Amino acid sequence: MATTRTDHGRIAAPARAVPRQAARPGRRGPRRSRRSGLHTLVFLLPMLLIFGVFSWFPIGRAILMSFQQTNLVTDPTFVGLENFQTVLADPLLWTAVKNTLYFAFLALLFGYPIPLVAALLMSEVRRAKGLFSALAYLPVVVPPVVAVLLWKVFYDPGPEGVFNTLLGHVGLGPYAWLQDADIAMPSLVLEATWAAAGGTIIIYLAALTGVDPTLYEAAEIDGAGIWHKIWHITLPQLRGILLITFILQIIGTAQVFLEPFLFTDGGPANSTVTVLLLIYRYAFTSSLGGDYGAATALSLMLAIVLALFSALYFRLTRSWSSS
Amino acid sequence: MSTRLRGDRGVIAPTDWKRTRVRWTARTAHAVLLAALVAIGLGPMLWLAKSAVTPTQDTLREPLALWPNGIDLANLSEAWTRVEIDQYFFNTVALAAGAWAVQLLVAATGGYALAVLRPRYGKVLSGVVLATLFVPAVVLLVPLYLTVLDPPLLGTSLLNTFWAVWLPAGANAFNVLLMQRFFSSLPKEVFEAARVDGAGPYRLFWSIVLPMSKPIIGVVSVFAVIASWKDFLWPMLVLPDPDLQPLSVRLPALQRFVELDVFLAALAISTLIPVVLFLAFQRMFLSSAGLGGAIKG
Amino acid sequence: MKPSRIIATTAAAALAAAGLAACSESEDDDGITDITVAIDAGLEQGAIDAFNDRIAQFEEAHPDINVETQEYTWTATTFTAQLAGGTLPTVFTIPFTDGRGLIERGQIADISGLTAELPYIGDFNPNVAAAGSDADGNLWALPIAAYGQGLHYNRTLFEAAGLDPDAPPTTWDEVRAAADQIAEATGEAGYATMTNANTGGWILTTMAYALGGRTEVIDGDTATATIDTPQMREAIDLIRQMRWDDDSMGDEFLYDWGTINQDFAAGRIGMYISGGGNYGSLFTQNALNPDDYGLTVLPLEGADAGVLGGGTLAAVSPNAESAEQAAAVDWIDFYYMEKLTVEEAAVADAKTLADSGQPVGAPQLPVFDKATYDESLTWVADYVNVPLDQMTPYTDQIFDQPLLTEPVRGTQEVYAVLDTVVQTVLTDEGADVDALLAQAETDAQAAMDAAA
Repeated sequence: MATTRTDHGRIAAPARAVPRQAARPGRRGPRRSRRSGLHTLVFLLPMLLIFGVFSWFPIGRAILMSFQQTNLVTDPTFVGLENFQTVLADPLLWTAVKNTLYFAFLALLFGYPIPLVAALLMSEVRRAKGLFSALAYLPVVVPPVVAVLLWKVFYDPGPEGVFNTLLGHVGLGPYAWLQDADIAMPSLVLEATWAAAGGTIIIYLAALTGVDPTLYEAAEIDGAGIWHKIWHITLPQLRGILLITFILQIIGTAQVFLEPFLFTDGGPANSTVTVLLLIYRYAFTSSLGGDYGAATALSLMLAIVLALFSALYFRLTRSWSSS
Repeated sequence: MSTRLRGDRGVIAPTDWKRTRVRWTARTAHAVLLAALVAIGLGPMLWLAKSAVTPTQDTLREPLALWPNGIDLANLSEAWTRVEIDQYFFNTVALAAGAWAVQLLVAATGGYALAVLRPRYGKVLSGVVLATLFVPAVVLLVPLYLTVLDPPLLGTSLLNTFWAVWLPAGANAFNVLLMQRFFSSLPKEVFEAARVDGAGPYRLFWSIVLPMSKPIIGVVSVFAVIASWKDFLWPMLVLPDPDLQPLSVRLPALQRFVELDVFLAALAISTLIPVVLFLAFQRMFLSSAGLGGAIKG
Repeated sequence: MKPSRIIATTAAAALAAAGLAACSESEDDDGITDITVAIDAGLEQGAIDAFNDRIAQFEEAHPDINVETQEYTWTATTFTAQLAGGTLPTVFTIPFTDGRGLIERGQIADISGLTAELPYIGDFNPNVAAAGSDADGNLWALPIAAYGQGLHYNRTLFEAAGLDPDAPPTTWDEVRAAADQIAEATGEAGYATMTNANTGGWILTTMAYALGGRTEVIDGDTATATIDTPQMREAIDLIRQMRWDDDSMGDEFLYDWGTINQDFAAGRIGMYISGGGNYGSLFTQNALNPDDYGLTVLPLEGADAGVLGGGTLAAVSPNAESAEQAAAVDWIDFYYMEKLTVEEAAVADAKTLADSGQPVGAPQLPVFDKATYDESLTWVADYVNVPLDQMTPYTDQIFDQPLLTEPVRGTQEVYAVLDTVVQTVLTDEGADVDALLAQAETDAQAAMDAAA
């Protein structure tokens, strides 16, 4: 049984499932009566209700608001595409887009491989594995206020700052970290990676428990080494989860907000203004809801870009994984 | 410790473990990893614990020094009484428990329907769920708040009820996606076998899929509980009645009136709890017999 | 259920809910008007009890009004959501700096008809009243506290640098010299400034005002940005010289109001500009050693120089019906204004604050005239718990300084533009000030036009 499972593509991309199912209509065909459709609906009901009321409905409202001008008190007026024009005319928009792309790129560079390597290593731990994953997850639990206080100490731009002291031993620095428009963004990415890696690590650890050990055994019979097994068994087995964490990370970093908000408020000199920070300013700080239309308009544009990107991504990876 | 189908192993074969070079390389890598994890994971926690019993001025002036002017244990008792931690603790737990239950229910049933039952419209539905991730939460604050004040279908305001926190927490596409991905990675033979044995979709869900999915349920649970523990903006908005608020809302409210050291002490006390919870969860799920038990049973 | 239909249903429902305004319902037939009033979140029990006592007294005097409390903290996010949801308390407080914008956008109730009938309406300090008035001078929100910007300094660092803490700088050149001396002698920042979250613009505007500049010219309905001015350049040059020529501003350049307070309280900053009543937060939150603290006025140089003012307004929810508005103004008159004008109310308030360890007596500016203010100080003298004698350089001179209001058109947006200017000057040695100021003026003008 174990060997027959290898050809199963156990982490099939959802798109793959459909043609395969269509190719084997006999397997499930008879059972797909109206009753089974009803059962499916029963299982979908909590999701449909909760998402319908608390996600799709508010999103619909937000989309509506992007075509309106409102002071949030009196009835809104429709202004057509004016909000979109306002946003596109904002000189800060392109700075924000550029910064966000830069953040996403750096976050991917640091943040994507590190959790994977850590999880692979941790899954080989034979004793006290729980200790490892608990430690890795602890940064997520740290309250943001504490994170800010602490990282400010690390990033102290004086020569006596923690990072500057450490780097000073190897003759580097001192760096101004968050105070320097050129390295403020990488500094934020470092903190963000610290804060987020734990979550990704435990996702990978959970996925790794699903890798069938008999696959390794079969490969070992063929004399495969450790690297060979990682490359040809572990990673392909994790492919589904890796594909999804990749796109989730892109979506997440495109909406990076907390780090620039807490640490730099977009400074110095707008070098860490991100799209989300701009949205937040439209909605809340500049004119207290006076620009909610602009905020929703920019959000809508961001969502469309991300949707297009995701669609492209799934299309590309589908052909890539099935070839 | 690890619990896979055929006992205790990962990439490295049991025979490999007997080779000195492999063993030492792995041990060294693990030691380095452990040291790094202690530094980045435990370090901040220890700092918080230290700051909780350090006078404000020492924390501000010499943040990394160990008690240059002595320990101030009074912070802890002041934090406890001033924040009334015992009183708000119950709300915090109730909010986390409810948010956890709703998230798990939505993600598990939805993920199951999409990954295992696979309705024809499943692909589109997954897309619509995924699409909610594209819309930044910040901009939904006002529309979501208006929805909670006057929800469609329900017709009564959820303001000042725990439902206002519990129900929106369930609309988490990330959880649904994780569950869906994990479920569709489970071996199909087991489902087929169960179907042949006459198991309906409900038994398949309850007796086969859920027991096989402990690791991912554990992950989603941890995410749900910790997120609920930390969230403060939303509960502050929908629970204006102080008697219903969780610690995460009470703490910032207090910040204006207390010294930093007392505030950090309160944070330390309230952070201790999710850490303990995490360790408990972690024993239950992350290192439990996930696949093995289900397939044998 | 087809997904397309789900989308259609959702979209239809969203369209149906197009009207966002929620209405408040307190139309009881019993003739009682219900209002909710803001109370600070996180107060000690003693302060809450004192607040409830005041409510009881108020309800006794106004049997037709029922008052409930609602915890309220001024944050932009919650305020916006509550504004949209119609769930703000009937009476709440807002900072001066946001008053004009809220009035212009009609986001607080127009109670000017009611305020016009208050007996003391003509007694307000005109520059304080301006913060709560619309362009035509109608009072939409009542000022309940006011302050002028001051130069906070660390007496201990002054002494360590061989400076006399009782004779703080009186000109900007002296400020620069003192900053240099402190940095040389102690290694701490001699002078620091806020730069973040619109506070950079706030402080830069303060400096420009103190040098005789203004950031806008209002002529009828048109507002012109005046950022690229000699006074603004002087302010920038001063900062630039302290930063790059003297290196006397330390190495932290991303301060907002909270973090600069933190570092000042920790003894890392010699001098900085902030509101004159700032002692309270320095002491309560950051455990400032009272002996360290000194406060003086900003040096005013040049024609038309003045000190930028700030303060707190009491406002009424835009959703309040007319009976509620009237009751709300009664409450503001009773709870907030009596503290300023009636001895018993002032003493009771001071006692409550002092009992819960909050500072009493940090210098403010008169909301009405100086005589009323001075009299109120004598009432609460017994409860004062701040080192007033270390603030005499400020209190001796602030009342002679012309008080100026903040810029009114697109205030926060223009501050945001100026944030960038300060941050660039502080972090980029080669910054082209000419280009920066020209660009800032263009951006500020665009922001003002958008706000019109």
